Amino acid sequence: MYQRFYTALLIVSSVALFIFTLMAGYREITPDYKSYKSEYRDLFRSKATGEFMKKKAESIDFSVQQVYLGKLNRIDRCINCHLGVENPLMEDAEVPFKMHSGNYLETHPVAEFGCTVCHYGQGRATNAEDAHGTDRETHWDWPILPLKYIDSACAQCHDQEMLAENGADRVLRGEKQFVEKGCRGCHKVNGIGGVLGKALDGIGTQPRAYFPMRYVQGDKTAYTWLKEHFDDPRSIVPESEMRIVLLKDEDADLLTTYILTIRADEMPRDYRRIRTGTQEVPGGEELYKMYCIACHTTGKYSVYDEIFKRTIPAIMNPTFLRVADDNQLRRFIEDGRANTQMTDWKEDAAGLTDDEIGRIVEFLAKSRPAKRGKLFGRSIFDGDTARGRDIYETRCALCHGEDGMGGKNRLGISLVTPVVKEADPEFLLQTVRDGREGTPMIPFGSSGINLSDQDILDVVGYVRTIKPTASPKE
Amino acid sequence: MSGETQGKRKFSRRDFLGLATIWAAVISGFTVLAGVFRMTKANVYYEDSKKFKIGKPEEFPIGTVKQLDEKRVFIFASNDGLHAITSVCTHLGCIVAATDWGFQCPCHGSQFNSDGKVIAGPAPRPLPWLEVSRHVDGNLMVDASKEVKPGTKVKIYL
Repeated sequence: MYQRFYTALLIVSSVALFIFTLMAGYREITPDYKSYKSEYRDLFRSKATGEFMKKKAESIDFSVQQVYLGKLNRIDRCINCHLGVENPLMEDAEVPFKMHSGNYLETHPVAEFGCTVCHYGQGRATNAEDAHGTDRETHWDWPILPLKYIDSACAQCHDQEMLAENGADRVLRGEKQFVEKGCRGCHKVNGIGGVLGKALDGIGTQPRAYFPMRYVQGDKTAYTWLKEHFDDPRSIVPESEMRIVLLKDEDADLLTTYILTIRADEMPRDYRRIRTGTQEVPGGEELYKMYCIACHTTGKYSVYDEIFKRTIPAIMNPTFLRVADDNQLRRFIEDGRANTQMTDWKEDAAGLTDDEIGRIVEFLAKSRPAKRGKLFGRSIFDGDTARGRDIYETRCALCHGEDGMGGKNRLGISLVTPVVKEADPEFLLQTVRDGREGTPMIPFGSSGINLSDQDILDVVGYVRTIKPTASPKE
Repeated sequence: MSGETQGKRKFSRRDFLGLATIWAAVISGFTVLAGVFRMTKANVYYEDSKKFKIGKPEEFPIGTVKQLDEKRVFIFASNDGLHAITSVCTHLGCIVAATDWGFQCPCHGSQFNSDGKVIAGPAPRPLPWLEVSRHVDGNLMVDASKEVKPGTKVKIYL
């Protein structure tokens, strides 16, 4: 009984093995590209006129072809299926037999550039799936680049001027988004920028495995990840604190195009066409956009931010600027606000030079009203802190919190930070007295709650003694 | 009854299995050999293509003598057409220089006439002429892996 069973098993498995061997052999002698080649030959035959072209159609080489690019460290075999890229008869043919669009191949001959240097994908592969590498199972980190992002590949060699002149302006429009939406407020590039987000150096060449693909709807590629992440950061990374600042779908595509140009590698010198012109020095407004606008927006109104769980102060509010002189502003920017998302921007931290901070201060100061507030005339704090504490608890704690930390669900900002402790007395006293127009901070002096100057002195004196509590972020 | 037994013995299970084994061994042996011989020549090589474009016909007006350093060929255009001659000396592979009367090798003094024929020096063979053809996009191509008979010229202005 057993013997019969095993005999049957042996026969069945032998037959199966035999069939699989035959199939493997068959696949080996009929690779995918051969069927593309015969299809192409038929198409070529039907389009060919004249003896020369007809002869060419008959003489198609069915063995595997490649473009060897020693200088670029690439071998591209795309031309085994994309057979008509250089054939003018194939102008109207369907992909993969279509001739390459535009006149790009005249200036970028296939023999010198290959394909993957612009289009990415796995050049050595000899079937469509592996060559395009879009599917995650192909384990290829740089899959074929969707045409809507193709401009980003041009930026490997060409400078901005050339990109603008030759139709790769999507990179520039993407860069505009990058600058004006204030990405560098949180992300460092070349060592300069905020610290809340990840540094973006080399992101354009980052392997696919570094992108968490779990929630990505489309292809599991870095390109789709970036795009969908710009559409809605928290749909891709639920714990993301990234601020959604894009307006349209199109902008997310443009930004993706630009982000893909931030690469970790460099083309060989022979290939690069970058003119090293003098870089334009960004003005104060540009710097404000680049580094501040993502959080402070227009700077006119203070807003409670749902992502940061705290109120972001209005830094171009006239009443703020009336009391904060240039030195004070510079200190805020240089040292940041400890325990909040406001990082210290000085050169050895987030990397802004003194000069750049100066230009930002200059830009902010433009909104400063000519008329200064009435001076308190105090240079030291000598208020009665015990009395101040009573006033703080009745008047201030509701917004700024008992602990003075501001934060979650509170309209007030944190007061327990070095910039408050070390601030100029006039700045603090006048702020309490005159409030902040356009923000929830009302005047506590004679024009509002009507605290006396002494009350204000006392309460400010108390605020300066509050110690930070253990978990500042909550 | 005994006949039946004998009939079965003529082609017993043992014989069948034995023959099947031998044939399987023979067939697989040949298949393996075929595969091994197939592998002695690679489909593609880790090197620059031997076949390369040299430019459009307009770039080679009659009388042109062009040396392509990287590709190691001379291109000549005359009334009869265009031809390509290698610039690699057949002796030890130095790059020859074009002169009024032909080619001169700087290494060991080999001299070739303008058809590549050896006229002096240690070179064992004439300089080969290479196949010139046209690509579908209109460019001229040279295939350095294919020699043609000296004197073969390609009409480039069709």
